[in-house]
Amino acid sequence: MKKTLIVAAVATLLSGPTLAETLGVSIANFDDNGLTIMRTGMTDHVGTLDGVELQMEDAQEDVAKQLDQINNFIASGVDAIIVNAVDTDATEAMSQAAASAGIPLVYVNRQPGNMATLPEGQAFVASNEIESGTLAAFRMCQDLRAQGKSGGASAYMLMGRLSNQAAVQRSKDFHDVIGMDMCNFITLIDEQSANWSRDEAQNMMTNWIASGEPFDAVFGNNDEMAIGAIQAMKASGISMDDVVVGGVDATPDALVAMQAGEMDVTVFQDLAGQGAGSIDTAIKLVKGEDVDKTVFIPFKLVTPETVEDFL
Amino acid sequence: MARSTESTGGLVFDRSKRTWPNELNILIALIVIIAIFEILGQTLPYMNEQSFLFDSRDRFDSIFNEARLRIIILQVAIIGIIALGVTQVIISGGIDLSSGPLVGATAMIVMSFAQTELVNGGPNPKAVFGQWAFDLPVLLPIIVGLAFGALIGAINGSLIAFTRIPPFIATLGMFLICRGIAQAWTRGKPVSFPTEGYAGLGSGMMPVFWFLGLAVLFHFILKYTVYGKHTYAIGSNEDAARMSGINVQKHKIMVYMIASMLAAFAAIILSSKNLTAQSGMGIFYELYAIAMAVIGGVSLTGGRGSIIGTVLGAMVFGVIQSGFTYVKLDAYYQLMAMGFIIIGAVVLDKVRQERAASRR
Repeated sequence: MKKTLIVAAVATLLSGPTLAETLGVSIANFDDNGLTIMRTGMTDHVGTLDGVELQMEDAQEDVAKQLDQINNFIASGVDAIIVNAVDTDATEAMSQAAASAGIPLVYVNRQPGNMATLPEGQAFVASNEIESGTLAAFRMCQDLRAQGKSGGASAYMLMGRLSNQAAVQRSKDFHDVIGMDMCNFITLIDEQSANWSRDEAQNMMTNWIASGEPFDAVFGNNDEMAIGAIQAMKASGISMDDVVVGGVDATPDALVAMQAGEMDVTVFQDLAGQGAGSIDTAIKLVKGEDVDKTVFIPFKLVTPETVEDFL
Repeated sequence: MARSTESTGGLVFDRSKRTWPNELNILIALIVIIAIFEILGQTLPYMNEQSFLFDSRDRFDSIFNEARLRIIILQVAIIGIIALGVTQVIISGGIDLSSGPLVGATAMIVMSFAQTELVNGGPNPKAVFGQWAFDLPVLLPIIVGLAFGALIGAINGSLIAFTRIPPFIATLGMFLICRGIAQAWTRGKPVSFPTEGYAGLGSGMMPVFWFLGLAVLFHFILKYTVYGKHTYAIGSNEDAARMSGINVQKHKIMVYMIASMLAAFAAIILSSKNLTAQSGMGIFYELYAIAMAVIGGVSLTGGRGSIIGTVLGAMVFGVIQSGFTYVKLDAYYQLMAMGFIIIGAVVLDKVRQERAASRR
C-alpha cells in the first residue's frame, strides 16, 4: 500500500545483480498494531524483489527469546538479520553475536541502546522524530496564511508528557517553526502538558476557552490531544472551520476527524516504509555496499486532500 | 452546612465541644485559593486585568465567567465520582489503590460493547468484536461495566476481610491486575467510535450531573442509613464494631464493591466523554481521588470524613487546575506547585484538628 515510498537509494540497488538471499527477521511482538504494519511492509516489499527470502520470527516481547532467535539465525547461516528489538538496552549481545559471526545486522524502528558503538556491518532504520513536529507545524502555518491570517494569529500548544523525548522535540519543533520569518506572525498564547491524554487535553482546552482569548490554531504533540481539543471546542460552540488543528501520528480516530472536517493536519510515521527500508539496507550490507549507520525513512504529511490515501 | 458535623459518626459526639464544622475550613480554603488567583490576575502584568471567576469581558449574561465555573467542576467530576467511593473505603479504615487501573480496564471492556458499525459511512476501524457487538442498546455496556466493577470490588473486599492482608497490599495487587487486563484486552490498541446513545452518557455537562447526583445520594446513605453508621463504626474502632454485632467482614466487602462500582461508572462516563477507551486511561486517578478525599477532611486513620468534604476537596483541585492555566503557570512547574498545595492543605487541616482536640 505504501510501498511507493522507498529510499532513493533503492533504485540503484534494484539495478544490481540479484542473488538468492535469506534474511532472518525477529519482530518484538506480532500482535502490536504498528509493528504489524511494519511487518506487512517487509513481506510486501520482498514480494517485489527477486531471490530474497524472509524467515520471520515473533519474539513475543521476550528478550531471551529474541537473542535465541538471533543465535538460531546465525547457526542456520542466514545472509543478514533484521531485529526489531524487544528491549533496546539489550542489543549489545545481539550486535556482538552477529558481528563475531560476520553476519550483517539491521535494527529497525526501535533505536538500539548501543547505537554509538554499533559494529561494522550494522545499521539502524527508522524515522527521524525531528521531522514530525516540524512538518505539522509548518503546514499549520501555511494553512493560517491561506486563511489570510498572516497579519497575526495566535495559537495554543498541548504538549505530551514532559519527561518524554518526543514531547520535548515536537514542542521545540513548533517553537522553531513559529520563529522563522515566514511563520513569525503566529504568537503562542500558552503551552501546557496534557500528558498525551485526550481527556486532559479536553479539560485544558476548555480552561483556555474559559479565559476568552481569541485563538486561531491548536497544535497537539499527538493526535489524541488534538482530538481532545477539538471535542472541547465543539462543546463550546466554536466552529472548526475557524481554527487550524494539528497533531501527529495519523491514528484512525484522527483520520476520521479529518474526514469530518475537524482536524486539519497530522503526520504519518511510515512504518511500512521502515519495514521495506530495513530489507533494502540488509541487502546492501550483504553486498558490501556503503550504508549509513542510520537510515531515515521520512514522515508523511496528512491533510484533508490526502487523507483518503491513509484510511 | 452545620448539620454535616453529624457525619463524624454516631459513636461519641458532644455537640457543645465542636465549634467549627470541618467542611467550613475547606470552604474557606477554597475561597482563599480563588482570591489568590483573582489577585494574581489583577496584578500580573501579562494578564490584562482579566478576572478569574467574574465576567470581565462581558461575554455572559451573568456577572460570572460561566465557562470558568463549568470547567472548574467538569474537570474534576470523573475523578470526583471515584473519590465518592474512595471516601467510603477510607472512612471504613481501608484504602483503595486499584481504582485508577480499574478505570482503564473497565473503559476498554465497556467500550468494546458500545461500538457503532459505521463511522463517516465506512466500517468502524477499531472494531473489537464481530458484527454482533455493534450498536447494542446502551444499557448493556453499562451493566457489563458495573458487573465488572462489582466483581473487582468483591475480590478486593474478600481478600481484605477474609485473609486479613493489609488493604494497601490487596488493592496494590489489584492495581497491577487491572492495568494488565486493560492492556491485554486488545493488546494495547485503543477502542473508539461508540454509539450515539453511549456518547450521550458523558457529553457536555453530564459528568457533573452524575457526580453531584451520586454525591447527594451517598451523602444521605452515609448519614442516614445503617450502612453509613456501620461504615463509620468500623473505621473508628473495628473491634468495638465487631463486638457490638456488626458483620464486619460482610460490610467491608460491600464497601469495596460500592467503591469499585463507582470507579467503573466513572470509567463509563470518561470513555463516553472522550469517545474512546485506552489502556492508559486513569493513570494517577487513584491518588488524585485519595487526595481529594483527604483534602476534604477524610482521615486516613478511618472513622472521620464526609461526602460534602470530598466534594469540596474535589473543587479545590478543580480551582487549582483551572487557576494554573488562568495565570499561565509554566507547565514545568505545575506538578511541583500542585504537590506543595496538597501537602499544605493537609498540614493545615492537621494543625486545626490538633488544636480542636486540645481544646476539649
